[in-house]
Amino acid sequence: MTASVRSDPTRRGRPELYTSYESDAALLNTPGKRWGVLAIVMLAAAAPFVLGNPLLLLLATAFAAAIGAIGLNLVTGYAGQVSLGHAFFVGLGAYTAAVLSGDPDARLLGFGLPMIVWLPAAALVPGLVGLIVAPLAARLRGLYLAIVTLGLVFLGEHVFREWRSVTGGPGVGRDGVQAALFGVSITGAGGGLDGAQKAYLFTFVLLLVAALLGRNLARSKVGRAFAAVRDRDIAAEVIGVNLTRSKLLAFAISSAYAGVAGALLYTLTRTIDPNSFNLLMSVRFIAMVLIGGVATISGSIMGALFITLLPRFTQLLPRFLPFIGEGARGGGLISTADLEVMLYGLLIVGFLIFEPRGLFGLWIRIRNYWKGWPFSY
Amino acid sequence: MAAPLEPAVRIATIVARLRSWADEAPDQVAMREKDLGIWRDITWADYWDTVQDVGHALLALGVEPGDRVAVGSENRPEWLYTDLATVAVGAMTMGLYPTNPAPEVAYLLGDSGAKILVAEDQEQVDKALEVADGLGDLERIVYVEPRGVRGRYHDDRLLYWDDFVALGKRHRTADPDALERRMARASGDDVMTLIYTSGTTGPPKGAMLSVTNVEFAIRTLVDGGGFTDPPPSTDDVTLSYLPLCHVAERIFTTWFHLAGGPVVHFAESIDTVQQNLREVQPTIFFGVPRIWEKVHAGVHIRMASASALKRANYALWMAAAARIGRTMVAHGGNHTAATRVLYAVGYVFLFRALRDRIGLRECRFAASGAAPIAPEVLEWFMGIGVPMHEVYGMTENTAVATGNRAGRVKLGTVGEPQDGVELRIDEQTGEIQTRHAGVFVGYWRNPEATAEAKDADGWLHTGDVGVWVDGTHVKITDRLKDIIITAGGKNIAPSELENSLKASPFVKEAVVIGDRRPFLAALIGIELDTVGEWAQRRRIAYTTYRDLAEKDEVRTLVQGVVDATNARFARTEQIKQFRMLPKELDHDDGELTATQKVKRSAMAHLFGDLIEDIYGGATQESARG
Repeated sequence: MTASVRSDPTRRGRPELYTSYESDAALLNTPGKRWGVLAIVMLAAAAPFVLGNPLLLLLATAFAAAIGAIGLNLVTGYAGQVSLGHAFFVGLGAYTAAVLSGDPDARLLGFGLPMIVWLPAAALVPGLVGLIVAPLAARLRGLYLAIVTLGLVFLGEHVFREWRSVTGGPGVGRDGVQAALFGVSITGAGGGLDGAQKAYLFTFVLLLVAALLGRNLARSKVGRAFAAVRDRDIAAEVIGVNLTRSKLLAFAISSAYAGVAGALLYTLTRTIDPNSFNLLMSVRFIAMVLIGGVATISGSIMGALFITLLPRFTQLLPRFLPFIGEGARGGGLISTADLEVMLYGLLIVGFLIFEPRGLFGLWIRIRNYWKGWPFSY
Repeated sequence: MAAPLEPAVRIATIVARLRSWADEAPDQVAMREKDLGIWRDITWADYWDTVQDVGHALLALGVEPGDRVAVGSENRPEWLYTDLATVAVGAMTMGLYPTNPAPEVAYLLGDSGAKILVAEDQEQVDKALEVADGLGDLERIVYVEPRGVRGRYHDDRLLYWDDFVALGKRHRTADPDALERRMARASGDDVMTLIYTSGTTGPPKGAMLSVTNVEFAIRTLVDGGGFTDPPPSTDDVTLSYLPLCHVAERIFTTWFHLAGGPVVHFAESIDTVQQNLREVQPTIFFGVPRIWEKVHAGVHIRMASASALKRANYALWMAAAARIGRTMVAHGGNHTAATRVLYAVGYVFLFRALRDRIGLRECRFAASGAAPIAPEVLEWFMGIGVPMHEVYGMTENTAVATGNRAGRVKLGTVGEPQDGVELRIDEQTGEIQTRHAGVFVGYWRNPEATAEAKDADGWLHTGDVGVWVDGTHVKITDRLKDIIITAGGKNIAPSELENSLKASPFVKEAVVIGDRRPFLAALIGIELDTVGEWAQRRRIAYTTYRDLAEKDEVRTLVQGVVDATNARFARTEQIKQFRMLPKELDHDDGELTATQKVKRSAMAHLFGDLIEDIYGGATQESARG
């Protein structure tokens, strides 16, 4: 019955005439979205041939972070389960990937396995751990859940510090993930492209896949169940949503995203320091979600880009504002590193008060202004 | 009409047209119905198949040629299934307005002697059951929506639609040719439908339309391009939302559909028309003046609360639209090079978006009819690029009389006589008379009324007073019975004044009175939405409709509208006084007909005190005036 959708003249020019739920709930259900997404993807794909390497690496980092942010948004934004433990799962993914891909002859544990093994494993291991932790969420809500997941970060920090055969211990660390595709290193030179170009394209493709999967999940039965649990868990249960199952799924999927993000982040970084998976990292991810837009995939990406590119702008500030010192040690009233932390705080507060829907909300506001034309509502 | 018909013509009923659609384009979408948020396709093959089932069900229930089958429902596919099946078995379809109160349902069912009633839901079933005991002819009530009825009502006459169709399927298996045999007996003189007139003056009368009448209407209006030029095709899209028991919607939903094949979309209800219009974006759209006025007023309200930039943009381009509208009116509805350029620029800034929002972006032919409309409203729509055409017809001539043709539009007229139509204007009374093959058979069981309406030569006396404009176009002054003769002896057509008042977005109803009175006065009902919004913006607190209508500020607002209208008429035709109606007029209270036309006689009775109040204090007012 949908075979002649595109050729049917009585449907052309009528984007709101839905003849099936599939077209109503389609990923790209309007021509505007179709063309917009296509344009952005084309631009992003052309970027490595235009931009300089340092910026490309930064963008690649942002893309990797975006995958993590999408994961956090699935559990916190869509399913409404506040999690401060995201850093722990990122670390778990990073170490899983590093151990599996690492040099077998080196000082630390390593298996030298190809990407086809370590990339799925980097999703699977944190996913499974998430599944084990999730029953906590089934019993707790809100603030209590936040505290419990916070405990997870502290536990993780301890384990990462002490398990020296895997992590190398604080101050020493271990090499990052060794990523290669068909024998060509992702981060090094070779294959006709720079390391930065390849890293950018690789993370970009993975982000596309992750975003698509996330968006598809959000519109599916599972995603609608998440939203029902978030909005009112008792009501959700009454209408037949399996609470425990939804929460387990949310945590498992979110943790898997975090794991992949961790594996990618430490493909780009040369070493993994076990101290980096701390509360600050969790807060950074929360900032990405809140600033980008709660319960939106595109918002998560915007937030990740924003937070990751923020240091680049704060580094420019000392040139114009003399009271800001350069780097961590330079003179002035505050350093750029301090400024960054303060900006996170200010931005989170500002967005929550003035634009609770984040950067995505700003976009929606602009879109609705034109969508409503010539009316205001 | 007395001449024997060719065998080929004998079978050209609307059912035969449906059968050929099902043969030639079985998988093509014939109509769409919105159900649980999704427009569901119904193909020509589905349509024909269901009609056959329903036809067999009617046979199984013993419906004989000439029997009446009534339908009391909002527009939905089941209405068409029943209508077509009824014609197939040689019976007559009779439509009830879903808004008809129980006493009217009793009158209509009793007068027509309907044997079967297809009732949409519990509400319609309740009304029918309330009066069914007094109706000897009514044998079965088929209900479409089972909610609240099935399993709760225990009455032997009730039958659920699905069971009804299943009955037809069994009959069809047992005797597959029964329907074909019945269809073969069809002749051009068969009455296929009874359409009850709205009855502004007396009880409704059932106009009998025959197969020949309808075929003539289809040939003139569809094939001849009488209403749309070029004729409707399968690329066209229509929205069915006006009551199907009225001849106008029957033309657009059923006859147009079966002749040209546009995809019919059924609006969810009359309240969702604006939303459905946006989704469906029909290419052909027919509206009664009330609908056009409402769309116009809706734009007005929403613009009033838009941001400053948007208001400025709107004001700028509506000034351009007014210019385009005026120029087009002067050129018979055609663009000139200058207006085309102006429109193209305005299309980017306003017209495209505006038309999209009101659901008329794809519209290639818009028509207004069934009641007089203010030319200002038509001009407004022309200005924003909606090709408006005023058309004229009535039940008794199968809606075939005149229409404005694309490119030859004269604003304020109802257009030129359709092809094959003889039209004359009586020299004494000014009454419009028509004669053609579409003139109805007569009123059901009412030969006196038939004789009054249709004379021995076949001329139909329409009861409308009109004049020729430039010898080609017809302008309708008013209903013959509504003409007011003031105490001063001046003949006045109230509808012109009323429509001018109603062109204001603040005025919903206007009734001009003054027959055998010293001066003209008006009873005015405000449009609650717009005036309410207006009051809110001025921080005028109000509680009910009546409270709002009687505010001094609102009176002043309406006074402004009345003054603007008066400025356009001669002194003797001016409205000297007006009163606010204390309530919204309603069908249930007997103030309006089912088609939302004001019943003047009832008004004089119901609001007698207001009228006395006007003319009681007449002496000093008229002295001042």
